[in-house]
Amino acid sequence: MPTRRNFLRGAGAATALVGVETVGSPLTAAALAGDETLRQPYARRVDARDKVRGAVQYGADHVPARLTHAVPVVATIGKGRVVEFDTTAAEAVPGVRLVLTRIPPGELRSAPFIMAGGFAVQGYQPMTSDRVAYRGQMIALVVADTLVAATEAAALVTARYETEPFAVTLDADGTETLLQATVIPRFPDTVMGDADAAYATSPVKLDATYDGPPQHAMPIELLASTVEWQGENLIVRESTQNANAVRHGVAYELGISADRVEVISPSAGGAFGQKNSFQMHLGPLALAARRVGRPVKLVVPRTQTFHAGSFRPASRQRIRLGADRSGRMLAAIHEIDAQTSRHDLFPMQYTELTGRMYDIPDFRGRHQLVRTDAQTPGYMRAPFEHIAAFALESSVDELAYKLGKDPVALRLANDAPTTDPISGHPFTSRHLAECLRRGADRFGWVDRRPGVGSMRAKDGTLIGWGVAVGAYKAATAPATAVLRAESLGRRRCRVTITVDGHEMGQGIRTAITNLITGNLGVATEDVVVVVGDTRGVPPQHSTAGSWGTATALPAIDAAMGKLREQLGLRPSGPIDLPAAMSGRAPVELQARTKAPGQPDDVWDRVAAGGAAGAGPEYPAFTSMSYIAHFVEVRIEPRIRRIRVPRVVSVADCGRVASPVTAVSQVRGGVIWGIGATLREGGEVDPRFGGFLSASLEDYALPVNADIGDIDVSLIDKPDPLLNSVGVKSLGEVSMVGVAPAIANAVWHATGRRVRRLPIRIEDVI
Amino acid sequence: MDNALPAASAPAAVDLAFTVNGSPAKVAVDPRESLLDVLRERLDLTGTKKGCDHGQCGACTVHVDGRRVVSCLTAAVQVDGRAVTTIEGVEGPDGELHPLQQAFIDHDALQCGYCTPGQVMSGLACMAEGHTRDDAEIREYMSGNLCRCGAYAGIVAAIRETARRTGH
Ligand code: FES
Ligand code: FES
Repeated sequence: MPTRRNFLRGAGAATALVGVETVGSPLTAAALAGDETLRQPYARRVDARDKVRGAVQYGADHVPARLTHAVPVVATIGKGRVVEFDTTAAEAVPGVRLVLTRIPPGELRSAPFIMAGGFAVQGYQPMTSDRVAYRGQMIALVVADTLVAATEAAALVTARYETEPFAVTLDADGTETLLQATVIPRFPDTVMGDADAAYATSPVKLDATYDGPPQHAMPIELLASTVEWQGENLIVRESTQNANAVRHGVAYELGISADRVEVISPSAGGAFGQKNSFQMHLGPLALAARRVGRPVKLVVPRTQTFHAGSFRPASRQRIRLGADRSGRMLAAIHEIDAQTSRHDLFPMQYTELTGRMYDIPDFRGRHQLVRTDAQTPGYMRAPFEHIAAFALESSVDELAYKLGKDPVALRLANDAPTTDPISGHPFTSRHLAECLRRGADRFGWVDRRPGVGSMRAKDGTLIGWGVAVGAYKAATAPATAVLRAESLGRRRCRVTITVDGHEMGQGIRTAITNLITGNLGVATEDVVVVVGDTRGVPPQHSTAGSWGTATALPAIDAAMGKLREQLGLRPSGPIDLPAAMSGRAPVELQARTKAPGQPDDVWDRVAAGGAAGAGPEYPAFTSMSYIAHFVEVRIEPRIRRIRVPRVVSVADCGRVASPVTAVSQVRGGVIWGIGATLREGGEVDPRFGGFLSASLEDYALPVNADIGDIDVSLIDKPDPLLNSVGVKSLGEVSMVGVAPAIANAVWHATGRRVRRLPIRIEDVI
Repeated sequence: MDNALPAASAPAAVDLAFTVNGSPAKVAVDPRESLLDVLRERLDLTGTKKGCDHGQCGACTVHVDGRRVVSCLTAAVQVDGRAVTTIEGVEGPDGELHPLQQAFIDHDALQCGYCTPGQVMSGLACMAEGHTRDDAEIREYMSGNLCRCGAYAGIVAAIRETARRTGH
């Protein structure tokens, strides 16, 4: 039998940790984004070469010697408790080493929820009691020498249950509705002026309710971990956005010091918020690995991820919008009921968007949490903003029609260009009007015939053009950067950066590389970026809330400033680092930065594994990113299938740190918006509990044939206040507003105002 | 325990002989093992990814005798005597990239890279099948490969350009 490596042709083994290689010629912002700004040559995606070779190692790609495999067993009731397990048949399967059911107290304790000051995706650890909190919850874990044996044995574990009534929809009997401002006082409702009075006297009034389904992130990489005890130390390989929380979460559950855990996560195969905290399978898995004395790999089966991972909660939004006859918005009341679990309070921030999208003087928001029997919801891409924009921007479109105004002009007339209506502080930068104008231009909006159903193709296809805008906080988190410069001769210098950050495909390695090559004059191939690895100094604070670039880059910028100073080089402007370093011993230094106004004790929070993001409100200003989307829908004359042949999106994300990956982020966000509007609806089963649509067949994601032209343009004006690099946020704002732009185009084509997602064929028949 | 299933005894192992990326492989497999799991867990060829294990995502796409298959739904015993090509076998003997791999880089046809090995294997097959007459056809024949990151435009552009340049 040949050795394993014999099958690897060419260069062979996968590049580990820091596989940064670059090929191809430099690209320019202009060439990629259709943007006139051209500041420096930019790298293509620096890890693309490894990715097209299949050489990047994700969480389950490690195959250590003596590896065993784990398969979870999940509950088949909606709620209740396990009275008794029968594991006899499972244990008899050849190769089975362990059937772990209820974990005795003292061996594992539940880590607290990340939004309650903890680390975990939810504050309830399955298997530490006899509870079944929701259908699909893990109740046992089987470990065997092979995956087939573990799978077979897992199917043979049976449980006898005692069932309890459960509620899985917002309206079901047995839910519990809580006022967020009361139960989570640090998330108060947004109130400005007297919205109820101003609405009552508004000459034009709109009042409508919008329903959002549960949705699932479904990165193509499954939730997976490979864990290995080396003596008293635990090595975790798991793709995550938050190695720090994974480390502290598993240490907490096992009752060991976090110093004894290392988390290695050089690249995640997509994350989208689902991988932003300590996951529910890891504690039992680490315990199982200790019991069997071997490395164990767990790849959560796709169907189980619908209950094992967090999700976008179901929501119902009532929005009332008051305006005068010229279209000037006077008042808005935005009331949201959204799902949480029995065991956690998932804080909502829907009005963060609606309160500051326009210059509305009187505003009242109200968030209510509805407890249901599900796993705790989470931060799926643009968690609140996507669906809040669906409600708000559908209402704004309705207002435009009601008054006979052009939807673009109406939005421009209500812009809040300089001041945050909520805080009264200035916006750091806001180029929303330019996004709208440029988008209208690129789309050809002037050719739109305003009448509903007025644009038809010869074959009877209905054509609709819609517009909507979006915003997303420009958040920031604390970061530590360790910079090492090492001369490779007179012309070359290697710069190695280790920084708080995670690469989930958004392109953080490329953005970092661009910053360093632009600042220090070193070659792209001489920059090595280490992220998602707790073995260095930076604790690997979470990369979420679109703060990755605006968090890592300022810390690196500060480190580069220190390096210049230490080498006696000028503080800014072009330098020749290879020449300056030639003949010198390597230099290593570190710098750290935090969000404007963050207190110094934030470092203690980060060191303890906690989340410490800030924004959009900072002490002296508010910072947001913006986007405008223009969408064409075509609705087939007979079967009424809705297609989206073209989208134009223009984003203001501050300075563009990496044109190649930024443009791709926006395209990806638009595709997420198309999926969220026309495909993705999580179906729950009120009779049995849990999610019914628990496969990629039943929960349909957009496929290649669903996607037409997506024209992306970036304003690329550095933000002057938020940080030294001028970057804001991008990954999530790119999705915000796509849903209402599509819904508004559907209205334009058909005269149907659809207020529930996803929009289905039956809505337009 | 009313619904307990009788424990099946493990079926006898089956000796397989096939080639992977041009090299002969001999493995004794459980007849229930998928080609995907044999490649990943037994032969250390982890470039081929698991995204669903149900034939619904395409991340596990490999070639068997030159045709694309989802390896998660291919029992390993089915490839006895056949030639399997995985992403690790696409580049040249000295590590030079296949033109389609280079085009994926040039058109930024990926983000996280997790679906990418499957996209490349499907893209190669799409060209070999002659399903590259226009973008619509490429999109249709690449729709078995999900990309949650949404790198579809780059994938279509990479296949279009490579097909044109290599005469497919
Ligand atoms: S893993 Fe085979 S199709 Fe998804
Ligand atoms: S690149 Fe991430 S799924 Fe395709």
